[in-house]
Amino acid sequence: MHEVQEEASYHIRPNFKNKFRPVVVKKIIDSVLQEKLEGAVYDSDKISDYVSSITDQVKQKLKEETMDRYKFIVQVVIGEHRGAGFKMACRCFWDSDTDNYAQASYSNDTLFCTTT
Amino acid sequence: MTEETQPDGQGSFVVEEVNSIIKEAIEATLQTAAYQHSRVAQWTSGITEHCLKRLAGLHRPFKYIVTCIIMQKNGAGLHTASSCYWDNTSDGSCSYRWENKTMYCICSVFGCMI
Repeated sequence: MHEVQEEASYHIRPNFKNKFRPVVVKKIIDSVLQEKLEGAVYDSDKISDYVSSITDQVKQKLKEETMDRYKFIVQVVIGEHRGAGFKMACRCFWDSDTDNYAQASYSNDTLFCTTT
Repeated sequence: MTEETQPDGQGSFVVEEVNSIIKEAIEATLQTAAYQHSRVAQWTSGITEHCLKRLAGLHRPFKYIVTCIIMQKNGAGLHTASSCYWDNTSDGSCSYRWENKTMYCICSVFGCMI
């Protein structure tokens, strides 16, 4: 008679290899921002296209990484350099063992961009 | 024997409730203040922490991310967008924009069901 061994098929926590790695994700975001905003000028008509395409591209690249079962939220803020004061804060209520965030910024003469 | 895959009641992110929480947090913190560079850090932290406390107090099986942006009114343009890879049936987001004579405040809450 064979004894059937049961293995857990539902994993709650990710494997070490599949964990969210902030350093890797920051590099991805930096490369997308560099590619999209190199030499760009703030233009109120076109800026909404920039913003949507950056969020979509970052999300697409994250999906290609080996981070199974993670949900992603990508937020992009682009502002014009006009001397206005600007402050952004973020607070999270999550499981700090498994969840994390990565953030990158890009700035040139006419605009600045922050992506989280 | 039938199995339920979703918990009873709080099955998804309720936008109206979260909207009112954000509105109260911003109004309580900023009230009639004018933009002051020295106090902005305190305001943004205060708004996000206030929101998070109220959201945690709802005792829902959710993970929350709250972001708050305060910008001085100076004629400069600002654009923000977010893209989310999650389960549309249970997760959601809510954004609230507030302004007074000297500044704009945009607060977003993202909720992911556990």
